[in-house]
Amino acid sequence: MPPLKDDTGTTTGAAPPGERRTVIQWRRTLGAQRRGTRGRRQHALLRVRDDIPAAWRIGLMAAGLATPILLWLLISSGSSGDLIVPSPAETWQGAMRLHDDGVLLGDFWASSRRILIGYTISMAIAIVLGLGMGTFRSVEAFLEPPTGFMRYIPATALVPLMLFWLGIDETPKITLIVLGSVFFNLLMVADVARAVPREIINASYTLGAGRLTVLRRVVLPHSLPGIIDVARINLAAAWSILVVAELLAAEEGLAFRIVRAQRFRQIDEMFAILIIFGIIGVVSDLALRALRRRAAPWARA
Amino acid sequence: MSLTIVRPEKLEIEGLVKTFPGSRRRPAVTAIDGIDLRVSAGELVCIVGASGCGKSTLLNVVGGLEPADAGRVEIDGEAVVGPGADRGMVFQGYSLFPWKTVAENIAFGLETARVPRAERRERVDELIAIMGLAAWADRIPRELSGGMRQRVAIARALAPRPDILLLDEPFGALDAQTKRVMRDFLLGVWRDIGTTILMVTHDVEEAVYLAGRVYVLTSHPGRVAAEVPVPLPADRGPAITRDPLFLDLRDHVQDILIDQVRV
Repeated sequence: MPPLKDDTGTTTGAAPPGERRTVIQWRRTLGAQRRGTRGRRQHALLRVRDDIPAAWRIGLMAAGLATPILLWLLISSGSSGDLIVPSPAETWQGAMRLHDDGVLLGDFWASSRRILIGYTISMAIAIVLGLGMGTFRSVEAFLEPPTGFMRYIPATALVPLMLFWLGIDETPKITLIVLGSVFFNLLMVADVARAVPREIINASYTLGAGRLTVLRRVVLPHSLPGIIDVARINLAAAWSILVVAELLAAEEGLAFRIVRAQRFRQIDEMFAILIIFGIIGVVSDLALRALRRRAAPWARA
Repeated sequence: MSLTIVRPEKLEIEGLVKTFPGSRRRPAVTAIDGIDLRVSAGELVCIVGASGCGKSTLLNVVGGLEPADAGRVEIDGEAVVGPGADRGMVFQGYSLFPWKTVAENIAFGLETARVPRAERRERVDELIAIMGLAAWADRIPRELSGGMRQRVAIARALAPRPDILLLDEPFGALDAQTKRVMRDFLLGVWRDIGTTILMVTHDVEEAVYLAGRVYVLTSHPGRVAAEVPVPLPADRGPAITRDPLFLDLRDHVQDILIDQVRV
């Protein structure tokens, strides 16, 4: 066999007798490092992906929560003129006023109901079609082009059309939530289904499972934690589109209340609603995380 | 040349060809180019070959997971057209259902066959006992060691009582010590249950240790380079690895393989 040549033209491999071998000159090429030590020390808090001490973790989380509140206090104390920023106390009073007017719970329920119905429909469609898409190339070939196209039409751009077609009651809002989230959910659920290892599917076949059994008893349970993650991630997008729909046409709902508050220059009430949105988000996020842990304890997040 | 063929053929492969179509950038690859292979009932046969010799593809074709392009693959004289529980398969790893317990994993093939619940339980318990998995019956795969997982995979494949067990590098991902324990374990199971086994491996010593016959495959394309009978006693143990005949056979197979290696 002729001697192999590498990229630099250096002859490698055992050299035939009498032929000179190229010897590489070793020179240590090291970056900055302290004399008398080897390697570079890493700070305990800034190691890539490593855990940090629990005390530090809790402390940093508390600081992460306290910092925006402090900033808020600071900004609100100095606000004047047109740039009014209500203080946390004023925001609380705004929320109480909405509550005393008897509208807060109604608004909360109206918005939440729309999300619950719309997002459930969206997830149901996404699970059925997405599992099919991730499992069968034929379904994928058929659904991928329209989904990819529809996903790039901003759902907010459909708001006027939906109001024109479906009126101003609940139907257009729920339809918009579905349209605004289903294409994202669908493609992401398909990705989750695609991640089921080939070997698990093959093993199921050799254990006598048919294609439907594989879909129902292998692909679905394996995808369950991933599906819950998808639901959790895209829920925020569903809220965004609902807000736009409510801003334009609604008689109740949290976003509708923001428009009302703006009309009466009640900035504290607007702030109260924004905070409520945030709380709803955090609570639903935690709830879905808990659901994932319960439904799929085998899959650690 | 073998003089006596009394046992019926369990698996018969003749003129098997398998080609993977190419694309604009990649030429088509002939993974298997005319392989003839036979496994008799109750036999343990190993296929060894370097990586890329199409040995996993061969097993997948027998398992019905991939169609053959030409040739005949028959189990008990019946043509293989798709996967089925009559050919239990064990893969290198990651093939257990991660959300199911050990007992539930083993029961899967009995559920698809609609075996009644009481009998299912009985057969799962029996296999758990044979495999020494009693203490882990209610654990999920994540909580098991690699060797334990492969034991579950073997038990799961055996549960529907297949005609033949196809093992695709089942110990490939295990460390050397666990591998040694597992091969004795596999021999024990084979002797106790008396099933037919066709196993693919790249570990020559493992192949000679386990098999009654070894097929050595060439690479690119995969063909049978040699068929090596292993006339060692069936009840082998670790001591056999010092037997001169074992060492001769191992070196012989190794030599055939090294001739195939292109770096």
